Amino acid sequence: MKTLKQLSQEINKCVLCGTCRSVCPTFGVVQREPASARGKVALCDAYLNKEIGISEGFIKHMNECVQCMACYAACPNDVNVPDIILAARAEIAKEKGMPFVKSFILENILDSERLMPAAMKFASRLQGLLFKGVPEESGLHRRFPLPLIDERRLVPPLAERFFMDVVADSSAFSTAPTGHPTKGWVGQTTRPRVGFFAGCLINYMLPNIGEASLKVLEKAGASVVVPLDQLCCGMPALGMGDVETAKVLALKNLEAFEKYELDYITTACATCSDGLKRRFKELLSYEGEDVQRRVDKFSSKVRDITELLVNDFGFRISDFGFYKSQISNLKSQIVTYHDPCHLRRGQGIADEPRELIEMSGAKLKEMSHPCRCCGLGGSFNITNYDFSMEINRSKAEDIKNTGADIVATACPGCMIQIKDGLHQLGADTKVVHVVELLADNIDSR
Amino acid sequence: MLSHNVIKELTNIVGKDNIQTSKEDLICYSYDATNQKFLPDAVVFPKNVSEISLILKMANSEGFPVVPRGAGSGFSGGSLPVEGGVIVSLERMNKILKIDADNLIAIVEPGAVTGELQWEVEDLGLFYPPDPSSLKFCTIGGNVAECAGGPSAVKYGVTKDYVLGLEVVLPTGEVINTGTQTIKGVVGYDLTKLMVGSEGTLGIVTKIILKLLPLPEATKTMLAVFSDMRDAAAAVSRIISLKIIPSALEFMDKESISCVEEYSSIGLPADVEALLLIEVDGAKELIEKQAESVKKICLDSRAREVRIAGDKKEAKKLWQIRRAISPSLAKLKPNKINEDIVVPRNKIPEAIIGIREIAKKYSLTNANFGHAGDGNIHVNIMIDKTDRGEVARAEEGVKEIFKLVIDLGGTISGEHGIGIFKMSYIGMELSKPAIDVMKKIKQVLDPKGILNPGKIFPE
Repeated sequence: MKTLKQLSQEINKCVLCGTCRSVCPTFGVVQREPASARGKVALCDAYLNKEIGISEGFIKHMNECVQCMACYAACPNDVNVPDIILAARAEIAKEKGMPFVKSFILENILDSERLMPAAMKFASRLQGLLFKGVPEESGLHRRFPLPLIDERRLVPPLAERFFMDVVADSSAFSTAPTGHPTKGWVGQTTRPRVGFFAGCLINYMLPNIGEASLKVLEKAGASVVVPLDQLCCGMPALGMGDVETAKVLALKNLEAFEKYELDYITTACATCSDGLKRRFKELLSYEGEDVQRRVDKFSSKVRDITELLVNDFGFRISDFGFYKSQISNLKSQIVTYHDPCHLRRGQGIADEPRELIEMSGAKLKEMSHPCRCCGLGGSFNITNYDFSMEINRSKAEDIKNTGADIVATACPGCMIQIKDGLHQLGADTKVVHVVELLADNIDSR
Repeated sequence: MLSHNVIKELTNIVGKDNIQTSKEDLICYSYDATNQKFLPDAVVFPKNVSEISLILKMANSEGFPVVPRGAGSGFSGGSLPVEGGVIVSLERMNKILKIDADNLIAIVEPGAVTGELQWEVEDLGLFYPPDPSSLKFCTIGGNVAECAGGPSAVKYGVTKDYVLGLEVVLPTGEVINTGTQTIKGVVGYDLTKLMVGSEGTLGIVTKIILKLLPLPEATKTMLAVFSDMRDAAAAVSRIISLKIIPSALEFMDKESISCVEEYSSIGLPADVEALLLIEVDGAKELIEKQAESVKKICLDSRAREVRIAGDKKEAKKLWQIRRAISPSLAKLKPNKINEDIVVPRNKIPEAIIGIREIAKKYSLTNANFGHAGDGNIHVNIMIDKTDRGEVARAEEGVKEIFKLVIDLGGTISGEHGIGIFKMSYIGMELSKPAIDVMKKIKQVLDPKGILNPGKIFPE
């Protein structure tokens, strides 16, 4: 990862024109310059020129960014503001240490030895006591004050069984012949061989997406392996400025997957795929030639599941014509699609998930501003909950205005955020992952 | 520096959440799109006209500078606090107060974003034409202060042609209303026109009454490719003399084209000398006919090729070529001197040839593009700020270009304003008596010189 100082040329590329004011979601809410991408670049410039230090104000403004990359996409001079802000956060973390909330998350959830630590399982059992369910089991409200959890907040329940447990216990998966802690090789020798990266949100909260992904991959005729020693992708840590943790996680994940002869590594989380594909290389760029070779090989295999299915496996609407027949249980359903920032702007993937929705037999109806950020911004949602939900409000309204039955997206983080926003707006639009639409139809056959 | 008491008083006026004095906040209000920085002493975010009136009254009694600011997207330094003082940010006063479809007017607060007003009136089948390229983020208040224009000026004019009336806080704190809510109105001097384009030196506008038009039914976009710049210029003159007024008539010279080509490869032959991007709007049948006429005129003027966009998507693609110029220029040299000179339409070839000669004489990298329909050319001189010799040569070159422009019967700024960047050249265009009249007006309205000091007129 480049340090802020190494990014000074990037900072100088900014001519302060102000274009980012028209797309920056934090500016959209605050309506004051320091909340805009331009303001933040100016502050980083001032920091490098030693006009300011790592002050409270500097920290506050650097934290007020959802890393949606909208500024970068709109910038006439291609200034990579999201990376500048990440580098600033790394600088802050180095100098000030991690603030309480963030270190709590990192130590307890993200940097665990396994993606299924005992503490989380204990929490899963406890949650009935701490939260009360709301109708339709769309989520939970807390019963008692809890650190990190706002009382108005709709949190998805921790899964009763985490995805990795489901995989570990599944008889459908035979233990891999390698002797490594893993499950997979459904079709044994069939190619392509695909490694599935779960990610924290799918593992802890939305295991259905993981199961749906495996089902669809299997349907596509792939051999799937799920290394049980995989960890968090490290993007939350990186977002908080903890570059070292992100590096360690990247290396450990590299080790977990490179044991297998894989053709592809895939995930159903847009932030994870963006991280695995792009950030791992940056994180490990100064770790020597050997590591660099390994990470290049790893990253070249990474595909978001939507692009894997459409571009590499060649899923076509014509192949799935039967979904359009009466068999499709989605035939009369209208689905709208939300573009996750890290999929559309991070990886340039926009058509593939839409094609998959059409393959599912549902009718796609676009919302206005489908690629406007949902406001989650990783831990931004925890440290700046109200702010985050204010960004989300226009997203929720755009979804509601389509009149769609279902909103599909390709990122579990967006799903959690959108669910919360729709709930607060009183809308009952169902929130799903694109692969769930496909998997549902596999069931119905 | 502001005294503790002044800060306290300002806080009383706007409330403690609406005044910022931390270094971080001051830095964020120290710049505009000129990429220059001057630190203010405080930033306030007033909510209404009476707060602004109180601030200005206090500025007079305490003697500190006040600088109004919209989005900070200006190109001449109009919102820069060159002498420090208090930035009055109008970001909170951003409401569209009224859109009156019967009388075709809109009433807006100064902080409203131009593009947002345009989209909102378009939903009602109405049209607010002034379209500076920053329209997605610049504010109407800033447009009024600088009298902003854009591609549509050739047919629809600029901001001053749409401002019917204003509510203004004068530098001394009195609030006046200028103009009317009606198209006609001749009672007294035209203070509205005096305020529009006064670059925030004569008052702070707090409410703007704008004229609206019915939204044209359709638009048609074309791109004409020329091997000789003079042919392109001839086509421009012929189009206008046939009484077709396009809603945009944009020009790009050889250097701009090759930059864009290198940057985004649009598949243009290497020996293209000029491009014209032409848009006509109006009733469907009419513009079909007009588009054909324009195409024929271009071909008669030896255009090598004329592409007509079949739909909105294709039109957007053609506009992308024009919009790609600015970012692609940044690949030539890190810094850009962006002048917005205007010459009479038929003098464009002479101006371009002259500018190229000047650029050559001073060994400067230069690209020209802009609004051919109204003679407004963006002369871009690409430099490296760290190269002192180049900076000095560029300054000499610019001066010579201005002289050329004035000799051709043009003006040194069409839409950016004088601010601090063209101050030293104002005497080239205006006579001393004319400048004296302006200074006297300023003196009458702002006897203590507290509002946006250090702008327009050199000391």
